[in-house]
Amino acid sequence: MTESQSEPQTDGGTTVTTTTVTDPESESATASGLRTRVALATRQVGSLAATEMRLGLRRRWAIILIGLFAAFGMLVLTFAGSAPGPAGFERTAASLAMLAVYVVPLAALAYGYDAVVGPAESGWLEVLSALPVTRTRILAGTTLGRGVVLVGGVALGFLIPGAILVSEYGTSTVPALATLLLAAAALGLAFLAVAVALSTLVREKTHALGVALLAWVWFVLVHDLLALGVVAAFDLSEGAVTALVLANPTSVYRVLVLGELGAGGTGGFASVLSAAGLSTRLLAVALAAWVVVPVVAAAALVRWRGTIAAT
Amino acid sequence: MHIETTDVTRTYGAVTALDGLSLSVPSGSTFGLLGTNGAGKTTLFRLLIGHETPDSGTVRIGDTTVSTAGTEIRERVGYLPERAGFPAELTAREVLAVTARVRDLSDVDARVSSVLDTVGLAGDADRPVEGFSNGMGRRLGLATALLPDPDVLLLDEPTAGLDPLGVVAFHRIVEDVSERTDATVLVCSHALAEVERLCDRVAILNDGQLLAAGELSELTADTAGLEETFEAVVTGDGQSPAVTAERPDASDSGRLSDADGTQRPPDGAPADRAEGSP
Repeated sequence: MTESQSEPQTDGGTTVTTTTVTDPESESATASGLRTRVALATRQVGSLAATEMRLGLRRRWAIILIGLFAAFGMLVLTFAGSAPGPAGFERTAASLAMLAVYVVPLAALAYGYDAVVGPAESGWLEVLSALPVTRTRILAGTTLGRGVVLVGGVALGFLIPGAILVSEYGTSTVPALATLLLAAAALGLAFLAVAVALSTLVREKTHALGVALLAWVWFVLVHDLLALGVVAAFDLSEGAVTALVLANPTSVYRVLVLGELGAGGTGGFASVLSAAGLSTRLLAVALAAWVVVPVVAAAALVRWRGTIAAT
Repeated sequence: MHIETTDVTRTYGAVTALDGLSLSVPSGSTFGLLGTNGAGKTTLFRLLIGHETPDSGTVRIGDTTVSTAGTEIRERVGYLPERAGFPAELTAREVLAVTARVRDLSDVDARVSSVLDTVGLAGDADRPVEGFSNGMGRRLGLATALLPDPDVLLLDEPTAGLDPLGVVAFHRIVEDVSERTDATVLVCSHALAEVERLCDRVAILNDGQLLAAGELSELTADTAGLEETFEAVVTGDGQSPAVTAERPDASDSGRLSDADGTQRPPDGAPADRAEGSP
């Protein structure tokens, strides 16, 4: 056991001497307690995530997501192959990437909008909240389970068009396709996180669906056009342009993927930004932040929701 | 396990849900909580499972102060919420398995089978919940509450919306659990007949205040039954033959006064330490 004595502190006229006692046994017990809590949290989140994945399979979400991405991917391959103009892998991959901008966020929002409000409406959230588990862990398990189903759907759905592209253009295209796939999965997770956060704000599933659709319209359609107009109308600093990109996960995705594919000129706002000099690392971190920040916000909101539920 | 609330106040904005509530629930008893809508019953349950913290006062389960215990308090408490529901695509066994795993219980399969037997759902264990009747759903909710062999069982409107046969079946299960275990059972209900059947002690709340508390037999000794007692206590109707409720202040909450105005403890406890009073 070791002791250390701090400088005396004056507290309202009373001199207080603080003695800190460091006991290796108590430190060990604290560390052991922390490990136990982390292990328990992991088991709880894992159990809830596994249940959410099971529900995702039984509600046919996995099949729907795979079918959706595979069908649109094949359509893009068909039309990109028959379209006039320069053909080749870059054009087709860029078309797939642009498809993902529209379809992946829509699918993620549709899958995630009821993540909290759905169980709250059905009474399942009340049952789970009666267990010795925090609402943050319930939210983490729900989001993780849905995230796995979504990423699995994106990966398997793009596997078929991806395999066709590799067979046509060779294995040298695999890294670019892998980048596209990873970025599309990250984009899906970002919108799933946004959907989960929105789901904590509303009291009815129908409202949640409406808000999720508005979010899609804003991020996928309106923001890009507004940003393009602002960039064209004003002489913005590089920082402001960067902020405009980072404020929208689809813009981040566009710049990231189209830059990696060397097809920056096809991406509307992204083509304006191709000279912005945003590094791949910054874009990847920004996309990761779009996954983490909404989930953290949702965790705070779900605690607030628990409070207002009692009123 | 003994439950004790001491001078508990909880407000939501301008609404006072609980107003200086002091209530004592003896270990092993089956205790009925009665009151009109907005009386504070559900708020009390939320305080007991740690979903809320009181603005003032303390809530204790056994030796543990709930507000400082975190989620661990719910390891010892089984709670059937009024609006319990389950994912329609899961089977009853899967619902119980996931709740058992989140509780970090051992022998999950054996426990799940045991509680399915207890609530009479063994034959429907592997059916999706979407095919369940209301009564089966409530019994499944009870099963989730019973999984940890709780020291305290909280039942919020347990038979609301059930048909008469469902109510009878549910009552038999609760009676069976009360007899077989040492659990303290707290039943919040609008169904006075249900409380009369299940509970040996009763508390009556109104506007967040405790109006009366005590053994059921004593509260109903001079009335035709709990219904008449409840009406007399809540409305303050002095025409009731034996019990007149007085809206107590914090210092005499839970005490009843006889028709002649003499204060008496509601459960026959010594005058200086009546159940329901601090």
